[in-house]
Amino acid sequence: MAVPLIFNTIEQTGLSRWLRESQSIFGFYFILLFHTFGMSLVVGANAVVDLRILGVASDIPLRPLKRLFGIGWTGLAINITTGLLLLTAYPTKALTNPDFYLKLTFIGLAVYTMARMNKEVFSDTSLSEAAMIAKGKVFARLSLFFWIGAVGTGRLLSETARYFFYGHPAGG
Amino acid sequence: MNYAHLHLLLNHFPIIGAIIGLGLFIVSFFGKNQDLRKASYIVFIGIGLITIPTFISGFGAQDMIKGPAVSDALVRRHESSALLSMWFMVITGALALIGLWQAQKTSQPPRWNVLAVLLFSVLSVALIARTSNTGGDIRHPEDVTGKSAPVADGTITDGPVGGFIAHFEPDPDKFADAMTFSKWWWTFMMAAHFIGLIMIVGTVGLLDIRIMGFLKQLPVAPLHRLLPWGLAGLAINVATGMMAFAGRPENYIFSAALWLKILALLLLGVNAVAFYLTGIFGQVEKLEAGEDAPFAAKLVAASGLFLWFAVIAMGRYIQPLTDTLLGSN
Repeated sequence: MAVPLIFNTIEQTGLSRWLRESQSIFGFYFILLFHTFGMSLVVGANAVVDLRILGVASDIPLRPLKRLFGIGWTGLAINITTGLLLLTAYPTKALTNPDFYLKLTFIGLAVYTMARMNKEVFSDTSLSEAAMIAKGKVFARLSLFFWIGAVGTGRLLSETARYFFYGHPAGG
Repeated sequence: MNYAHLHLLLNHFPIIGAIIGLGLFIVSFFGKNQDLRKASYIVFIGIGLITIPTFISGFGAQDMIKGPAVSDALVRRHESSALLSMWFMVITGALALIGLWQAQKTSQPPRWNVLAVLLFSVLSVALIARTSNTGGDIRHPEDVTGKSAPVADGTITDGPVGGFIAHFEPDPDKFADAMTFSKWWWTFMMAAHFIGLIMIVGTVGLLDIRIMGFLKQLPVAPLHRLLPWGLAGLAINVATGMMAFAGRPENYIFSAALWLKILALLLLGVNAVAFYLTGIFGQVEKLEAGEDAPFAAKLVAASGLFLWFAVIAMGRYIQPLTDTLLGSN
């Protein structure tokens, strides 16, 4: 399948070139750092809620952990922003890699799980803590699974790329 | 200052520290002195931490002294030996950390832990002694007794003890190949490294921001009980980090970011000492929901959070700064 020409157009824009080629420490790796930092916030916050619901450190009061969703959404916002910038730098590399779509699928499912848990478990103030846990268990397991999948497929991206950029196949 | 100097500066700490730690540990059995035992554990943890930069600096030193005056076979024997002893030193430190954690509740480490630390610290001292010895042979050929001096074809004959230990020492090239032969294994290690990072940030970071005064609805003591998950994350990351380093040392050794990352990790060790050994932990542990931590505790928590951020940042910059230290000697 031909690689869409628009990827090349994006790669030739000033922003894309600067992100890829700048030697500044605020270039590509700075964006990547904040992508990692955002990941640790969103996955870290979710993991703590998930583990607590699954029985770890059960003397932590559950309801105040609702505040962790704020940290999670902040991390997600950082990662959507930095993710779009990384995509601007390497559109061909990302969008021709099937693993990239797998990663997006995991993230989509994980974020959907986070939103459902926030709404159905933590925003319903009529629930007792035992009821919250009973209701949250499925979400917690799915959340851990989806986030681990997102991190794993994310790390796999550089190993599975088919192109470095437009017209430059990887390994060629 | 170059890698050979740095290696010489660091390489006496593991052997001397391990012997001091083991000495304190053994004396603690007489009269069942728990304070002495805890002190020996702290020494083991500190020495486990110091062993990592010592090991890493050895690769840089090796690169510097290459030449006809130095026996390649002796260098490789030392490298194999270090590759084995490093893991034992780190595992001893990790076991000591687990023991100290459990001693919080029971006032003394459990029996299994004491036996495990005894076993691993004795083995560590034996292995690190051989590493020191084989390292010394590189630059002090006059000490290499006739029997073990390398002959012209580069083979070395060890004494009975050294020869026995040598069976267990991995060949550095084979170890490196095992780490890098498959992109799946490499990706698995890197993904595990990220999972470990998330476990640390999710637990230690959460505790830090609570102490700093955010999320005050949460009491501190239960949050602190999440810490074993963070320590498990740290263990995953030390293991995967050192395996990745041993797989591709040339990608790391000349990166300024790697050394800044290690510096930040050592400072986190100091941060942990400031938290646990100055009474700050005792103050914050009692904080219930809504209560504010003292200023000193907030300072320690904020600096810990900053240092973890520095560790992540420097980890990310290892790659773009790969060659920053080339030719700086």
